[in-house]
Amino acid sequence: MSAGETILEVKGISRRFGGLVAVNDVSFNVAEKQILSVIGPNGAGKSTLFKLIASFLTPSAGEVLFQGARISGLSPHIVARKGVVRTFQETTVFKAMTVRENIVIAHHLRSHAGLTGFYFGSQIARSDEAEFGRSADEIIDFLGLAEQRDKLASSLPHGHLRALGIGIGLATNPKLLLLDEPFAGMNHDETSRAVAMVGRVRERGVTVVLVEHDMPAVMKISDRVVVLNFGVKIAEGTPAEIQRNDKVIEAYLGSEDASIGL
Amino acid sequence: MSRSQTSTQLAILAAFLLAIFVVVPWIIAASGRFDLYYTLTSVALLSIASAGVWLTFYIGRINIGQGAYALMGGYVSAILVVQAGLSFWLTLPLAGMFCAAISVLIGLPILRLRGVYFAMVTLVLTEVARLTALALPITNGAKGMVSIPLPGPIGFGGFNLVPNFATLKTPNLAFYYLSMVLMCLCFGAMYRLVHSRIGKLCQSLQQNEELASSIGVNITLLRVIAYAISSFLGGLSGAIFVGIAQSIYPSSFTVTDSVNFMLNCFLGGLGYVFGPIIGTFLLYFGWDLLFQTGPYQLLIFSSLLIIFMLVLPNGLLSLNPFAGKKA
Amino acid sequence: MTQVLANGLYLGAQYALIALGLTLIFSLMNVLNFAHGQMYVLGGFITYTVYAQLGLPFVIALICSGVTLAIIGALIEKYLFRPVIKRSVRDESTMLLAAAIAFFFDAVILLAFGEKQRGVPKILNGVFVSQPLIMPYDRMLVGVLAIALIAAFMLFMQYSKPGRAMRALAQDRMAAQLMGVNVDRYSMIGFALGAMLAGLVGGLLVAITGVNSGIGGPISIKAFMMVMIGGAGVVGGAIAGGFILGMLESVGLTVLHAYGDITYLAIFAGLMVFLAIRPHGLMGKPWG
Repeated sequence: MSAGETILEVKGISRRFGGLVAVNDVSFNVAEKQILSVIGPNGAGKSTLFKLIASFLTPSAGEVLFQGARISGLSPHIVARKGVVRTFQETTVFKAMTVRENIVIAHHLRSHAGLTGFYFGSQIARSDEAEFGRSADEIIDFLGLAEQRDKLASSLPHGHLRALGIGIGLATNPKLLLLDEPFAGMNHDETSRAVAMVGRVRERGVTVVLVEHDMPAVMKISDRVVVLNFGVKIAEGTPAEIQRNDKVIEAYLGSEDASIGL
Repeated sequence: MSRSQTSTQLAILAAFLLAIFVVVPWIIAASGRFDLYYTLTSVALLSIASAGVWLTFYIGRINIGQGAYALMGGYVSAILVVQAGLSFWLTLPLAGMFCAAISVLIGLPILRLRGVYFAMVTLVLTEVARLTALALPITNGAKGMVSIPLPGPIGFGGFNLVPNFATLKTPNLAFYYLSMVLMCLCFGAMYRLVHSRIGKLCQSLQQNEELASSIGVNITLLRVIAYAISSFLGGLSGAIFVGIAQSIYPSSFTVTDSVNFMLNCFLGGLGYVFGPIIGTFLLYFGWDLLFQTGPYQLLIFSSLLIIFMLVLPNGLLSLNPFAGKKA
Repeated sequence: MTQVLANGLYLGAQYALIALGLTLIFSLMNVLNFAHGQMYVLGGFITYTVYAQLGLPFVIALICSGVTLAIIGALIEKYLFRPVIKRSVRDESTMLLAAAIAFFFDAVILLAFGEKQRGVPKILNGVFVSQPLIMPYDRMLVGVLAIALIAAFMLFMQYSKPGRAMRALAQDRMAAQLMGVNVDRYSMIGFALGAMLAGLVGGLLVAITGVNSGIGGPISIKAFMMVMIGGAGVVGGAIAGGFILGMLESVGLTVLHAYGDITYLAIFAGLMVFLAIRPHGLMGKPWG
């Protein structure tokens, strides 16, 4: 599948916390329908970078452009509205709601009716609700969660929670989905299935940027890889190029993650 | 929801409405205990104010400042009736909206505080409202405002939909019906809110703010709206109390009242829309019953409260599906 | 102007003591002691009883206030707050308990001491005059005593074993427990200490402004305002909050006098603006 035009531009992004520089002048572009992974040893600033892109943090310098318009510094819910949606590192779902309720409510961004419309059950609101239900069921089937449909999110095992997290992201009909460590804590089988799922997400037309530690998975799924170390971008390229890159190898040998996978 | 469940609920609703609009007046007339009208009217009005506090809780905040809005609403109504000659009925929505407007001003800085911090500010708010009422010339200071006329009629031409209360033999009965109708409307509206998508949005807010934000929920807006509605209800309640008592003082609503509203919600169960009605009913009658103990009223009341907290720290109906997360 | 400043200082010292007690309790147990004002009132009444009615020396009266409140505080923590905190899942429970305890105190105080305003004979006669400053000696003494108590408290928290244990507990409960700090015991000591401070200020101020059963609530509210200004859970913040409120009150009463008693309205409005910019007060920890 060929990637399209540039959809996300990260330009010279930096973020300071007091005296500590977590992200230092990082720049890269993401093309439409591409899958780009951000990797790096622990503490390299990947999570902070993610928060900056989704506008949960304001950059100390630089900016983020989405479809040509600046999104950095905007309120997170507005950025979500524009189509940039983030899933969370600690599998974050609405624990006291069922799987279906979780996904239905995540459709919020797609509502045409306003709050008053929903309150009074206007025509638009009702058609919205019908659409959300239909779409939620479709996503549930897509992710293989059909059996868990009416179970409380808090009762789900780890793998299904991750799928639900992605489901919530998908419900918003994003143009760009930021997946924060989607394969964390999974065994081999689970990872294969999750990798396939991310591939199918891309097939739906969604651009994916993900942060990960699991090297084999990253190398398998990504079109492009950006490597961070100590908040600085040290390399960018295709998986094959990255695996041969000296600086990357050195960065990883210097930390606990010794394997960069093949 | 299954058909049998819906019809059971409707049956309960019908029974409840029948009880308050038909059965109770009949019992009171038969027993001659007309003072009970005032008691029940108070319960209805206080439960409306408590509903506001419940709503603030629904967006994850502990509101111990409703007394301030009750006081504000009361004064607005009193001032408009006495000094601007407005009809009592017109002052009701005006008082409510005044409180809502003020609450937006106050809410914007403080709604992002959580837990104890937010509670602290709201507590201070109640006291400041009282001090303001004492200080401003328009509210007549410590002397308060008295001899406020009873509500006038609502009507066109010669025909009155609602009679002039001053002409009624038992205005208490009229106030009873008024308060009960408003209470039903209020809780009906809340029920609809909770069961609509908006209710789900609030729940998402309670359970996980960040996630709610990332799926596009404008949490600031939602919070401010909820707080404004809550304050509207407080103001409305206060305004009607003024109509009944025909007077208002800076001490008409104090910190104790704010705490009581909170208590009503807690007692009735924070997870249940109709909880405030139950809680208010229990607490008010409890307090009223203790009146016979004279000077020991507060002592016994507070002791019972302490015992209750020791025995049931999580409220009467602690089967709250979203318990466990500190808001 | 100097007069206003001097008044503000002496008042601020008292307020700082109140705020310290409240903040200590809050930082140790995340509980807002609604009854703090009532403890102040109780302290005042005890001093009144011992000093004015029994005729014992003022210092003895103060000590009685302090000790009594300390014991009461310890008992409240152990038998009321501890069980509820252990079993409740939400903040509201402890708050409602605290409110109930405040009501209880109000009731007891009213029954025991009646409604009347009580004062005590001057503890020190004479006035210090140095134009334009006029300061009665008793106010100066009370101010000095308050500052001495603040200093003693700070030293105690900094250098003594219980003080260090409590600071560890306030900073990180889990870590402190792992290091062997007896959470239960030090929570109790902390609460007792906080209550004692409130009682002592009550005793000090009964000598100046007297006391009556109705001011408990308003004093609690003032204490909360100090904590909001200075930041909850931080000792420095409490002291700052106390002095700032004392100053603001002194200035406000003089300057705004022409407009009626809107000092507190002005302070509150200012506080709203302040909280919009700095939600956690001057030195507060983010969300406790």
